[in-house]
Amino acid sequence: MKLRRYTPRTFILELIMLCLCAVFVIPLYYLVVSTFKSQAAIIQSPLGLPLPPTLDNYRRALEVMSFFRNFGNSTLITSVSVVLIVVFGSLAAYSIARRKTPLMAFLGFYFLIGFMVPVQTTLIPLFRIMKTLDLINRYGGMIFLHSNGCVFAILLYRGFIRTVPMDLEESAFLDGAGPFRTFWRIVFPLIQPITATLIIFNVMWIWNDFLLTYLFLSSTKKATLIMQVYNGIGLYMNDWSLMMPVLVLALAPMVIFYLLMQKRIIGGLTSGAIKG
Amino acid sequence: MPAHRLKKEAPYLLFVLPAFLIYTTLTILPTLTTFLYSFTNYDGLSPHARFIGIMNYVKVMTTGNVVNSLKNSIVYGFVTPLLVTLLAIPLALVLNGRMRTRNMQRSIFFFPSVISALFVGYIWNFILSPSSQGLINGLLEKAGAKKLLLLADPHQAMGYLILVSVWCTVGWHACIYLANLQVIPTEYYEASYMDGAGPFNRFRHITLPMLAPAMTTSVMLLITGNLKAFDLPFALTNGGPGYVTTMITQTIITEGVSANRVGFASAMSFIFFVMIMIVTMVQLRVMRAREENLS
Repeated sequence: MKLRRYTPRTFILELIMLCLCAVFVIPLYYLVVSTFKSQAAIIQSPLGLPLPPTLDNYRRALEVMSFFRNFGNSTLITSVSVVLIVVFGSLAAYSIARRKTPLMAFLGFYFLIGFMVPVQTTLIPLFRIMKTLDLINRYGGMIFLHSNGCVFAILLYRGFIRTVPMDLEESAFLDGAGPFRTFWRIVFPLIQPITATLIIFNVMWIWNDFLLTYLFLSSTKKATLIMQVYNGIGLYMNDWSLMMPVLVLALAPMVIFYLLMQKRIIGGLTSGAIKG
Repeated sequence: MPAHRLKKEAPYLLFVLPAFLIYTTLTILPTLTTFLYSFTNYDGLSPHARFIGIMNYVKVMTTGNVVNSLKNSIVYGFVTPLLVTLLAIPLALVLNGRMRTRNMQRSIFFFPSVISALFVGYIWNFILSPSSQGLINGLLEKAGAKKLLLLADPHQAMGYLILVSVWCTVGWHACIYLANLQVIPTEYYEASYMDGAGPFNRFRHITLPMLAPAMTTSVMLLITGNLKAFDLPFALTNGGPGYVTTMITQTIITEGVSANRVGFASAMSFIFFVMIMIVTMVQLRVMRAREENLS
Protein backbone atom coordinates (compact mmCIF):
# COMPACT_ATOMS: atom_id res chain seq x y z
CA MET A 1 0.00 0.00 0.00
CA LYS A 2 1.22 3.47 -0.77
CA LEU A 3 0.50 4.76 2.72
CA ARG A 4 3.59 3.35 4.40
CA ARG A 5 5.42 6.67 4.88
CA TYR A 6 6.08 8.27 8.24
CA THR A 7 4.52 11.71 7.78
CA PRO A 8 4.49 14.75 10.15
CA ARG A 9 0.92 13.82 10.96
CA THR A 10 2.05 10.40 12.14
CA PHE A 11 4.65 12.10 14.27
CA ILE A 12 2.06 14.31 15.98
CA LEU A 13 -0.22 11.31 16.47
CA GLU A 14 2.67 9.45 18.00
CA LEU A 15 3.35 12.27 20.47
CA ILE A 16 -0.31 12.45 21.47
CA MET A 17 -0.45 8.69 21.94
CA LEU A 18 2.69 8.69 24.07
CA CYS A 19 1.14 11.30 26.35
CA LEU A 20 -1.96 9.15 26.56
CA CYS A 21 0.17 6.14 27.47
CA ALA A 22 1.79 8.18 30.23
CA VAL A 23 -1.61 9.09 31.69
CA PHE A 24 -2.72 5.49 31.31
CA VAL A 25 0.13 4.14 33.43
CA ILE A 26 -0.05 6.77 36.21
CA PRO A 27 -1.85 4.36 38.60
CA LEU A 28 0.92 1.78 38.17
CA TYR A 29 3.70 4.37 38.29
CA TYR A 30 2.22 5.80 41.49
CA LEU A 31 2.04 2.32 43.03
CA VAL A 32 5.62 1.43 42.17
CA VAL A 33 7.34 4.71 43.11
CA SER A 34 5.46 4.82 46.41
CA THR A 35 6.90 1.47 47.47
CA PHE A 36 10.36 3.07 47.65
CA LYS A 37 9.24 5.94 49.90
CA SER A 38 8.39 6.36 53.56
CA GLN A 39 4.73 6.86 54.51
CA ALA A 40 5.42 10.58 55.05
CA ALA A 41 7.08 10.97 51.66
CA ILE A 42 4.16 9.23 49.91
CA ILE A 43 1.83 11.93 51.21
CA GLN A 44 4.28 14.79 50.75
CA SER A 45 5.20 14.25 47.11
CA PRO A 46 2.96 11.51 45.76
CA LEU A 47 4.19 11.55 42.18
CA GLY A 48 7.81 12.55 42.76
CA LEU A 49 10.71 10.17 42.34
CA PRO A 50 11.84 8.44 45.53
CA LEU A 51 14.99 10.31 46.59
CA PRO A 52 16.74 8.61 48.23
CA PRO A 53 14.96 5.30 47.56
CA THR A 54 14.43 2.96 50.50
CA LEU A 55 13.97 -0.80 50.44
CA ASP A 56 12.64 -0.79 53.97
CA ASN A 57 9.00 -1.24 52.86
CA TYR A 58 9.88 -4.38 50.93
CA ARG A 59 11.71 -5.80 53.92
CA ARG A 60 8.59 -5.29 56.05
CA ALA A 61 6.32 -6.65 53.31
CA LEU A 62 8.33 -9.86 53.00
CA GLU A 63 8.15 -10.26 56.78
CA VAL A 64 4.36 -10.12 56.92
CA MET A 65 3.39 -12.07 53.82
CA SER A 66 5.26 -15.42 53.57
CA PHE A 67 5.67 -14.72 49.87
CA PHE A 68 7.34 -17.95 48.81
CA ARG A 69 4.80 -20.18 50.45
CA ASN A 70 1.91 -18.37 48.73
CA PHE A 71 3.78 -18.31 45.46
CA GLY A 72 4.26 -22.08 45.73
CA ASN A 73 0.55 -22.59 46.45
CA SER A 74 -0.48 -20.49 43.44
CA THR A 75 1.99 -22.30 41.21
CA LEU A 76 0.82 -25.73 42.32
CA ILE A 77 -2.88 -25.00 41.87
CA THR A 78 -2.42 -23.18 38.56
CA SER A 79 -0.07 -25.64 36.89
CA VAL A 80 -1.95 -28.82 37.76
CA SER A 81 -5.30 -27.27 36.79
CA VAL A 82 -3.97 -26.09 33.45
CA VAL A 83 -2.53 -29.52 32.60
CA LEU A 84 -5.86 -31.16 33.43
CA ILE A 85 -7.77 -28.61 31.35
CA VAL A 86 -5.55 -29.23 28.32
CA VAL A 87 -5.56 -33.03 28.60
CA PHE A 88 -9.24 -33.55 29.41
CA GLY A 89 -10.36 -30.81 27.05
CA SER A 90 -8.40 -32.02 24.03
CA LEU A 91 -9.30 -35.69 24.54
CA ALA A 92 -13.00 -34.92 24.81
CA ALA A 93 -12.96 -32.49 21.89
CA TYR A 94 -11.19 -35.08 19.72
CA SER A 95 -13.87 -37.69 20.34
CA ILE A 96 -16.70 -35.23 19.85
CA ALA A 97 -15.25 -33.78 16.65
CA ARG A 98 -14.33 -37.12 15.05
CA ARG A 99 -16.92 -39.72 16.07
CA LYS A 100 -20.13 -39.17 14.19
CA THR A 101 -22.37 -41.12 16.57
CA PRO A 102 -25.63 -39.73 17.98
CA LEU A 103 -24.21 -40.04 21.49
CA MET A 104 -21.24 -37.82 20.62
CA ALA A 105 -23.53 -35.31 18.93
CA PHE A 106 -25.54 -35.18 22.12
CA LEU A 107 -22.41 -34.73 24.22
CA GLY A 108 -21.30 -31.87 22.01
CA PHE A 109 -24.60 -30.16 22.69
CA TYR A 110 -24.45 -31.09 26.38
CA PHE A 111 -21.13 -29.30 26.85
CA LEU A 112 -22.49 -26.27 25.05
CA ILE A 113 -25.58 -25.70 27.21
CA GLY A 114 -23.66 -25.18 30.43
CA PHE A 115 -21.28 -22.76 28.84
CA MET A 116 -23.39 -19.75 29.67
CA VAL A 117 -24.09 -20.72 33.28
CA PRO A 118 -22.41 -18.11 35.47
CA VAL A 119 -20.46 -19.60 38.33
CA GLN A 120 -22.59 -17.61 40.78
CA THR A 121 -25.65 -19.65 39.80
CA THR A 122 -23.92 -22.85 40.88
CA LEU A 123 -22.31 -21.58 44.09
CA ILE A 124 -24.85 -22.56 46.73
CA PRO A 125 -25.21 -26.25 45.76
CA LEU A 126 -21.51 -26.31 44.93
CA PHE A 127 -20.81 -25.74 48.60
CA ARG A 128 -22.68 -28.88 49.55
CA ILE A 129 -21.13 -30.94 46.78
CA MET A 130 -17.64 -29.85 47.78
CA LYS A 131 -18.41 -30.61 51.41
CA THR A 132 -19.72 -34.08 50.60
CA LEU A 133 -16.59 -34.80 48.56
CA ASP A 134 -14.50 -33.39 51.43
CA LEU A 135 -12.78 -30.98 49.05
CA ILE A 136 -13.18 -27.70 50.93
CA ASN A 137 -9.89 -26.12 51.96
CA ARG A 138 -7.82 -28.52 49.92
CA TYR A 139 -5.48 -28.00 47.00
CA GLY A 140 -7.27 -30.88 45.28
CA GLY A 141 -10.57 -29.07 45.69
CA MET A 142 -9.31 -25.91 44.01
CA ILE A 143 -7.76 -27.94 41.21
CA PHE A 144 -11.03 -29.80 40.73
CA LEU A 145 -12.98 -26.52 40.56
CA HIS A 146 -10.59 -24.92 38.09
CA SER A 147 -10.42 -28.02 35.90
CA ASN A 148 -14.01 -27.24 34.91
CA GLY A 149 -12.32 -24.82 32.50
CA CYS A 150 -12.03 -27.85 30.21
CA VAL A 151 -15.49 -26.94 28.87
CA PHE A 152 -14.08 -23.82 27.27
CA ALA A 153 -11.11 -25.88 26.05
CA ILE A 154 -13.48 -28.35 24.38
CA LEU A 155 -15.16 -25.49 22.56
CA LEU A 156 -11.89 -24.09 21.18
CA TYR A 157 -10.31 -27.45 20.37
CA ARG A 158 -13.42 -28.78 18.70
CA GLY A 159 -13.63 -25.87 16.27
CA PHE A 160 -9.96 -26.25 15.44
CA ILE A 161 -9.93 -30.05 15.04
CA ARG A 162 -12.73 -29.75 12.48
CA THR A 163 -10.38 -27.74 10.26
CA VAL A 164 -7.63 -30.39 10.45
CA PRO A 165 -7.79 -32.94 7.59
CA MET A 166 -8.34 -36.55 8.65
CA ASP A 167 -5.87 -38.22 6.23
CA LEU A 168 -3.02 -38.46 8.73
CA GLU A 169 -5.20 -40.06 11.36
CA GLU A 170 -6.57 -42.57 8.86
CA SER A 171 -3.13 -43.66 7.75
CA ALA A 172 -2.05 -43.99 11.40
CA PHE A 173 -5.03 -46.26 11.92
CA LEU A 174 -4.08 -48.40 8.93
CA ASP A 175 -0.62 -48.75 10.47
CA GLY A 176 -2.31 -50.27 13.50
CA ALA A 177 -2.16 -47.36 15.93
CA GLY A 178 -4.92 -47.36 18.55
CA PRO A 179 -7.16 -44.34 19.28
CA PHE A 180 -5.00 -42.97 22.08
CA ARG A 181 -1.78 -43.37 20.16
CA THR A 182 -3.31 -41.68 17.12
CA PHE A 183 -4.54 -38.82 19.26
CA TRP A 184 -1.30 -38.36 21.15
CA ARG A 185 1.14 -38.74 18.23
CA ILE A 186 -0.83 -37.20 15.38
CA VAL A 187 -3.64 -34.96 16.58
CA PHE A 188 -2.22 -33.42 19.74
CA PRO A 189 0.86 -31.93 18.01
CA LEU A 190 -1.36 -30.49 15.26
CA ILE A 191 -3.60 -28.62 17.69
CA GLN A 192 -0.62 -27.02 19.43
CA PRO A 193 -1.62 -23.39 18.60
CA ILE A 194 -4.86 -23.78 20.55
CA THR A 195 -2.99 -25.47 23.39
CA ALA A 196 -0.66 -22.47 23.67
CA THR A 197 -3.57 -20.01 23.74
CA LEU A 198 -5.40 -22.09 26.32
CA ILE A 199 -2.37 -22.42 28.58
CA ILE A 200 -1.72 -18.69 28.55
CA PHE A 201 -5.27 -17.60 29.22
CA ASN A 202 -5.96 -20.25 31.82
CA VAL A 203 -2.76 -19.41 33.68
CA MET A 204 -3.95 -15.80 33.83
CA TRP A 205 -7.50 -16.68 34.90
CA ILE A 206 -6.60 -19.30 37.48
CA TRP A 207 -3.68 -17.41 38.96
CA ASN A 208 -5.86 -14.30 39.31
CA ASP A 209 -8.97 -16.10 40.53
CA PHE A 210 -10.50 -14.58 43.61
CA LEU A 211 -14.14 -15.67 43.88
CA LEU A 212 -13.66 -19.45 44.02
CA THR A 213 -10.56 -19.25 46.20
CA TYR A 214 -12.34 -16.84 48.55
CA LEU A 215 -15.20 -19.29 49.01
CA PHE A 216 -13.43 -22.64 48.96
CA LEU A 217 -9.90 -22.15 50.28
CA SER A 218 -9.81 -20.12 53.47
CA SER A 219 -6.81 -21.75 55.15
CA THR A 220 -3.96 -19.22 55.36
CA LYS A 221 -1.39 -21.98 54.95
CA LYS A 222 -2.81 -22.97 51.58
CA ALA A 223 -3.65 -19.42 50.46
CA THR A 224 -2.70 -18.31 46.95
CA LEU A 225 -0.87 -15.04 46.43
CA ILE A 226 -4.09 -13.19 45.60
CA MET A 227 -5.83 -14.62 48.67
CA GLN A 228 -2.92 -13.72 50.93
CA VAL A 229 -3.24 -10.08 49.96
CA TYR A 230 -6.95 -10.21 50.68
CA ASN A 231 -6.41 -11.96 54.04
CA GLY A 232 -3.95 -9.32 55.14
CA ILE A 233 -6.02 -6.39 53.97
CA GLY A 234 -7.17 -5.49 57.49
CA LEU A 235 -3.55 -5.47 58.54
CA TYR A 236 -2.25 -3.27 55.73
CA MET A 237 -5.24 -1.06 55.04
CA ASN A 238 -4.10 1.91 57.08
CA ASP A 239 -0.44 1.59 56.29
CA TRP A 240 -0.06 2.18 52.59
CA SER A 241 3.72 2.02 52.76
CA LEU A 242 3.23 -1.63 53.70
CA MET A 243 0.27 -2.45 51.45
CA MET A 244 1.82 -1.08 48.27
CA PRO A 245 4.95 -3.28 48.31
CA VAL A 246 2.76 -6.26 49.22
CA LEU A 247 0.72 -5.56 46.08
CA VAL A 248 3.80 -5.11 43.92
CA LEU A 249 5.30 -8.39 45.15
CA ALA A 250 2.04 -10.23 44.62
CA LEU A 251 1.75 -8.75 41.13
CA ALA A 252 5.33 -9.51 40.11
CA PRO A 253 4.95 -13.14 38.96
CA MET A 254 2.08 -12.24 36.62
CA VAL A 255 4.00 -9.25 35.24
CA ILE A 256 7.01 -11.45 34.50
CA PHE A 257 4.73 -14.01 32.87
CA TYR A 258 3.22 -11.24 30.75
CA LEU A 259 6.59 -9.87 29.68
CA LEU A 260 7.77 -13.34 28.65
CA MET A 261 4.57 -14.29 26.84
CA GLN A 262 3.57 -10.87 25.50
CA LYS A 263 3.79 -11.77 21.81
CA ARG A 264 1.82 -14.94 22.33
CA ILE A 265 -0.78 -13.28 24.56
CA ILE A 266 -1.56 -10.51 22.12
CA GLY A 267 -1.16 -12.90 19.16
CA GLY A 268 -3.30 -15.54 20.91
CA LEU A 269 -6.25 -13.23 20.49
CA THR A 270 -5.91 -13.66 16.77
CA SER A 271 -6.15 -17.43 16.77
CA GLY A 272 -8.65 -17.76 19.58
CA ALA A 273 -11.00 -14.85 19.58
CA ILE A 274 -11.89 -14.25 15.96
CA LYS A 275 -12.72 -17.80 14.94
CA GLY A 276 -14.44 -18.76 18.23
CA MET B 1 -25.41 -50.80 20.48
CA PRO B 2 -23.98 -54.08 19.12
CA ALA B 3 -20.97 -55.47 21.00
CA HIS B 4 -18.34 -54.86 18.33
CA ARG B 5 -19.38 -51.24 17.88
CA LEU B 6 -19.36 -50.68 21.60
CA LYS B 7 -15.84 -52.01 21.69
CA LYS B 8 -14.83 -49.63 18.95
CA GLU B 9 -16.49 -46.64 20.61
CA ALA B 10 -15.32 -47.47 24.14
CA PRO B 11 -11.96 -45.67 24.01
CA TYR B 12 -13.61 -42.51 22.68
CA LEU B 13 -16.20 -42.59 25.43
CA LEU B 14 -13.37 -42.96 27.90
CA PHE B 15 -11.75 -39.84 26.41
CA VAL B 16 -14.88 -37.81 27.12
CA LEU B 17 -15.46 -39.29 30.56
CA PRO B 18 -13.22 -37.06 32.74
CA ALA B 19 -14.52 -33.83 31.21
CA PHE B 20 -18.08 -35.19 31.42
CA LEU B 21 -17.76 -36.03 35.12
CA ILE B 22 -16.16 -32.72 36.08
CA TYR B 23 -18.63 -30.63 34.12
CA THR B 24 -21.64 -32.60 35.32
CA THR B 25 -20.60 -32.33 38.96
CA LEU B 26 -19.57 -28.68 38.86
CA THR B 27 -21.98 -27.11 36.38
CA ILE B 28 -25.01 -29.21 35.46
CA LEU B 29 -25.88 -30.73 38.84
CA PRO B 30 -25.53 -27.47 40.80
CA THR B 31 -27.55 -25.54 38.20
CA LEU B 32 -30.40 -28.04 38.41
CA THR B 33 -30.18 -28.03 42.20
CA THR B 34 -30.30 -24.23 42.27
CA PHE B 35 -33.42 -24.41 40.15
CA LEU B 36 -35.04 -26.87 42.62
CA TYR B 37 -33.97 -24.91 45.71
CA SER B 38 -35.50 -21.78 44.26
CA PHE B 39 -38.99 -23.26 44.82
CA THR B 40 -38.37 -24.15 48.47
CA ASN B 41 -37.79 -22.34 51.75
CA TYR B 42 -34.55 -24.28 52.33
CA ASP B 43 -32.13 -22.49 54.67
CA GLY B 44 -29.07 -24.65 54.15
CA LEU B 45 -29.36 -26.31 57.57
CA SER B 46 -32.81 -27.63 58.39
CA PRO B 47 -33.61 -31.01 56.83
CA HIS B 48 -37.27 -30.06 56.36
CA ALA B 49 -37.38 -27.77 53.37
CA ARG B 50 -40.85 -27.11 52.05
CA PHE B 51 -42.03 -26.50 48.50
CA ILE B 52 -43.33 -22.94 48.37
CA GLY B 53 -43.95 -22.47 44.65
CA ILE B 54 -42.88 -19.21 43.10
CA MET B 55 -42.85 -17.34 46.43
CA ASN B 56 -39.09 -16.80 46.26
CA TYR B 57 -39.35 -15.30 42.79
CA VAL B 58 -42.09 -12.95 43.95
CA LYS B 59 -39.94 -11.99 46.93
CA VAL B 60 -36.89 -11.36 44.74
CA MET B 61 -38.81 -9.01 42.47
CA THR B 62 -40.29 -7.11 45.42
CA THR B 63 -37.22 -6.79 47.66
CA GLY B 64 -35.74 -3.34 47.22
CA ASN B 65 -32.10 -4.31 47.71
CA VAL B 66 -32.26 -7.12 45.20
CA VAL B 67 -34.02 -5.14 42.51
CA ASN B 68 -31.53 -2.36 43.12
CA SER B 69 -28.53 -4.66 42.73
CA LEU B 70 -30.05 -6.10 39.55
CA LYS B 71 -30.36 -2.56 38.22
CA ASN B 72 -26.75 -1.82 39.16
CA SER B 73 -25.56 -4.93 37.36
CA ILE B 74 -27.51 -3.95 34.27
CA VAL B 75 -26.11 -0.41 34.25
CA TYR B 76 -22.58 -1.67 34.81
CA GLY B 77 -23.05 -4.56 32.39
CA PHE B 78 -24.14 -2.36 29.49
CA VAL B 79 -22.48 1.03 29.97
CA THR B 80 -18.98 -0.42 30.37
CA PRO B 81 -19.16 -2.48 27.13
CA LEU B 82 -20.50 0.54 25.26
CA LEU B 83 -17.66 2.79 26.42
CA VAL B 84 -15.02 0.12 25.89
CA THR B 85 -16.24 -0.51 22.35
CA LEU B 86 -16.33 3.21 21.54
CA LEU B 87 -12.74 3.57 22.74
CA ALA B 88 -11.26 0.24 21.65
CA ILE B 89 -12.02 0.63 17.94
CA PRO B 90 -10.25 3.99 17.48
CA LEU B 91 -7.43 2.74 19.70
CA ALA B 92 -7.03 -0.35 17.52
CA LEU B 93 -6.98 1.83 14.37
CA VAL B 94 -4.25 4.03 15.81
CA LEU B 95 -2.22 1.08 17.07
CA ASN B 96 -2.47 -0.45 13.61
CA GLY B 97 -0.86 2.67 12.11
CA ARG B 98 2.73 3.52 11.31
CA MET B 99 3.95 4.81 14.66
CA ARG B 100 7.46 3.73 15.62
CA THR B 101 6.52 2.91 19.20
CA ARG B 102 3.32 1.06 18.40
CA ASN B 103 4.46 -2.29 19.79
CA MET B 104 5.40 -0.68 23.08
CA GLN B 105 2.07 1.14 23.14
CA ARG B 106 0.18 -2.09 22.52
CA SER B 107 1.94 -3.68 25.49
CA ILE B 108 1.13 -0.71 27.69
CA PHE B 109 -2.56 -0.60 26.88
CA PHE B 110 -2.91 -4.35 27.22
CA PHE B 111 -1.04 -4.53 30.50
CA PRO B 112 -3.91 -3.78 32.96
CA SER B 113 -5.81 -6.82 31.63
CA VAL B 114 -3.14 -9.04 33.15
CA ILE B 115 -3.64 -7.75 36.69
CA SER B 116 -6.12 -9.54 38.91
CA ALA B 117 -9.35 -7.54 39.18
CA LEU B 118 -8.99 -7.57 42.95
CA PHE B 119 -5.66 -5.76 42.73
CA VAL B 120 -6.99 -3.32 40.15
CA GLY B 121 -9.58 -2.37 42.75
CA TYR B 122 -6.99 -1.91 45.46
CA ILE B 123 -4.66 0.11 43.23
CA TRP B 124 -7.42 2.52 42.22
CA ASN B 125 -8.42 2.83 45.83
CA PHE B 126 -5.09 4.54 46.47
CA ILE B 127 -6.01 7.06 43.83
CA LEU B 128 -9.71 7.58 44.39
CA SER B 129 -9.76 7.27 48.15
CA PRO B 130 -11.89 9.98 49.82
CA SER B 131 -9.24 10.42 52.55
CA SER B 132 -6.52 13.02 52.07
CA GLN B 133 -4.07 10.12 51.79
CA GLY B 134 -5.51 9.33 48.33
CA LEU B 135 -3.60 10.57 45.31
CA ILE B 136 -6.24 12.90 43.88
CA ASN B 137 -7.29 14.38 47.20
CA GLY B 138 -3.69 14.66 48.32
CA LEU B 139 -2.84 16.67 45.22
CA LEU B 140 -5.98 18.80 45.56
CA GLU B 141 -5.20 19.61 49.19
CA LYS B 142 -1.68 20.60 48.34
CA ALA B 143 -3.01 22.92 45.63
CA GLY B 144 -5.24 24.48 48.26
CA ALA B 145 -8.46 23.16 46.74
CA LYS B 146 -11.25 21.37 48.56
CA LYS B 147 -11.21 17.59 48.90
CA LEU B 148 -13.61 15.57 46.76
CA LEU B 149 -15.80 12.70 47.93
CA LEU B 150 -14.74 10.50 45.01
CA LEU B 151 -15.58 6.87 45.83
CA ALA B 152 -17.67 7.95 48.81
CA ASP B 153 -19.95 10.04 46.60
CA PRO B 154 -23.18 8.10 46.07
CA HIS B 155 -23.85 9.91 42.78
CA GLN B 156 -20.44 9.26 41.29
CA ALA B 157 -19.25 5.94 42.71
CA MET B 158 -20.77 3.96 39.82
CA GLY B 159 -19.10 6.32 37.37
CA TYR B 160 -15.69 5.72 38.92
CA LEU B 161 -16.28 1.98 38.97
CA ILE B 162 -17.07 2.06 35.26
CA LEU B 163 -14.03 4.23 34.58
CA VAL B 164 -11.73 1.74 36.31
CA SER B 165 -13.35 -1.14 34.49
CA VAL B 166 -12.80 0.62 31.16
CA TRP B 167 -9.16 1.24 32.10
CA CYS B 168 -8.49 -2.42 32.67
CA THR B 169 -10.32 -3.86 29.65
CA VAL B 170 -9.92 -1.37 26.79
CA GLY B 171 -6.44 -2.59 25.79
CA TRP B 172 -7.51 -6.22 25.66
CA HIS B 173 -10.46 -5.42 23.42
CA ALA B 174 -8.40 -3.11 21.23
CA CYS B 175 -6.20 -6.14 20.59
CA ILE B 176 -9.21 -8.21 19.51
CA TYR B 177 -10.06 -5.50 16.97
CA LEU B 178 -6.41 -5.19 16.01
CA ALA B 179 -6.26 -8.88 15.15
CA ASN B 180 -9.31 -8.41 12.97
CA LEU B 181 -7.94 -5.27 11.26
CA GLN B 182 -4.92 -7.23 10.12
CA VAL B 183 -7.03 -9.64 8.07
CA ILE B 184 -8.95 -6.99 6.11
CA PRO B 185 -7.74 -7.37 2.51
CA THR B 186 -5.89 -4.24 1.36
CA GLU B 187 -7.59 -4.39 -2.07
CA TYR B 188 -10.71 -2.91 -0.51
CA TYR B 189 -8.78 0.17 0.53
CA GLU B 190 -7.00 0.44 -2.80
CA ALA B 191 -10.31 0.36 -4.62
CA SER B 192 -11.69 3.08 -2.38
CA TYR B 193 -8.70 5.32 -3.18
CA MET B 194 -9.55 4.93 -6.84
CA ASP B 195 -13.08 6.03 -6.04
CA GLY B 196 -11.70 9.01 -4.14
CA ALA B 197 -13.29 8.10 -0.80
CA GLY B 198 -12.19 10.18 2.21
CA PRO B 199 -10.96 8.71 5.51
CA PHE B 200 -14.37 8.95 7.15
CA ASN B 201 -16.12 7.14 4.32
CA ARG B 202 -13.41 4.51 4.22
CA PHE B 203 -13.95 3.89 7.93
CA ARG B 204 -17.72 3.79 7.59
CA HIS B 205 -17.97 1.65 4.48
CA ILE B 206 -14.96 -0.64 4.78
CA THR B 207 -13.32 -0.78 8.20
CA LEU B 208 -16.37 -0.76 10.43
CA PRO B 209 -18.30 -3.43 8.49
CA MET B 210 -15.20 -5.62 8.20
CA LEU B 211 -14.74 -5.42 11.97
CA ALA B 212 -18.12 -7.07 12.54
CA PRO B 213 -16.73 -10.51 13.57
CA ALA B 214 -14.43 -8.97 16.17
CA MET B 215 -17.28 -6.84 17.42
CA THR B 216 -19.52 -9.86 17.92
CA THR B 217 -16.88 -11.59 20.03
CA SER B 218 -15.76 -8.52 21.91
CA VAL B 219 -19.22 -7.30 22.83
CA MET B 220 -20.25 -10.77 23.99
CA LEU B 221 -17.18 -11.09 26.21
CA LEU B 222 -17.74 -7.60 27.59
CA ILE B 223 -21.42 -7.91 28.41
CA THR B 224 -21.20 -11.35 30.01
CA GLY B 225 -17.96 -10.45 31.79
CA ASN B 226 -19.37 -7.26 33.26
CA LEU B 227 -22.72 -8.77 34.24
CA LYS B 228 -20.82 -11.51 36.09
CA ALA B 229 -18.26 -9.14 37.63
CA PHE B 230 -17.63 -9.62 41.31
CA ASP B 231 -13.97 -8.99 42.19
CA LEU B 232 -13.57 -5.42 40.97
CA PRO B 233 -16.65 -3.85 42.61
CA PHE B 234 -15.92 -5.90 45.73
CA ALA B 235 -12.36 -4.55 46.00
CA LEU B 236 -12.98 -0.99 44.81
CA THR B 237 -16.17 0.04 46.60
CA ASN B 238 -17.41 -3.13 48.32
CA GLY B 239 -20.84 -2.25 47.01
CA GLY B 240 -20.90 1.17 48.62
CA PRO B 241 -21.46 3.88 49.50
CA GLY B 242 -24.72 2.43 50.80
CA TYR B 243 -25.75 0.02 48.06
CA VAL B 244 -25.13 2.15 44.98
CA THR B 245 -22.52 -0.20 43.50
CA THR B 246 -23.74 -3.51 44.91
CA MET B 247 -23.96 -5.99 42.05
CA ILE B 248 -26.37 -8.92 41.86
CA THR B 249 -23.36 -11.25 42.12
CA GLN B 250 -22.49 -9.83 45.52
CA THR B 251 -26.09 -10.00 46.73
CA ILE B 252 -26.30 -13.67 45.74
CA ILE B 253 -23.23 -14.45 47.81
CA THR B 254 -24.25 -12.45 50.89
CA GLU B 255 -27.79 -13.84 50.87
CA GLY B 256 -27.02 -17.42 49.93
CA VAL B 257 -23.67 -18.10 51.52
CA SER B 258 -23.39 -15.69 54.45
CA ALA B 259 -27.06 -15.30 55.42
CA ASN B 260 -28.08 -18.86 54.47
CA ARG B 261 -31.28 -17.79 52.72
CA VAL B 262 -30.70 -20.56 50.23
CA GLY B 263 -34.10 -20.72 48.57
CA PHE B 264 -34.28 -16.97 48.16
CA ALA B 265 -30.71 -16.65 46.83
CA SER B 266 -31.30 -19.56 44.47
CA ALA B 267 -34.24 -17.78 42.90
CA MET B 268 -32.03 -14.73 42.51
CA SER B 269 -29.20 -16.66 40.90
CA PHE B 270 -31.57 -18.42 38.56
CA ILE B 271 -33.03 -15.12 37.40
CA PHE B 272 -29.47 -13.95 36.91
CA PHE B 273 -28.67 -17.00 34.78
CA VAL B 274 -31.74 -16.55 32.61
CA MET B 275 -30.87 -12.88 32.18
CA ILE B 276 -27.35 -13.71 30.97
CA MET B 277 -28.65 -16.42 28.67
CA ILE B 278 -31.24 -14.16 27.03
CA VAL B 279 -28.80 -11.27 26.65
CA THR B 280 -26.12 -13.49 25.12
CA MET B 281 -28.48 -15.20 22.72
CA VAL B 282 -30.12 -11.98 21.55
CA GLN B 283 -26.76 -10.27 21.20
CA LEU B 284 -25.21 -13.14 19.25
CA ARG B 285 -28.23 -13.49 16.98
CA VAL B 286 -28.43 -9.76 16.23
CA MET B 287 -24.72 -9.36 15.64
CA ARG B 288 -24.33 -12.53 13.57
CA ALA B 289 -27.19 -11.35 11.38
CA ARG B 290 -25.38 -8.05 11.07
CA GLU B 291 -22.20 -9.86 10.02
CA GLU B 292 -24.08 -11.65 7.27
CA ASN B 293 -25.78 -8.50 6.04
CA LEU B 294 -22.48 -6.71 5.82
CA SER B 295 -20.45 -9.40 4.12
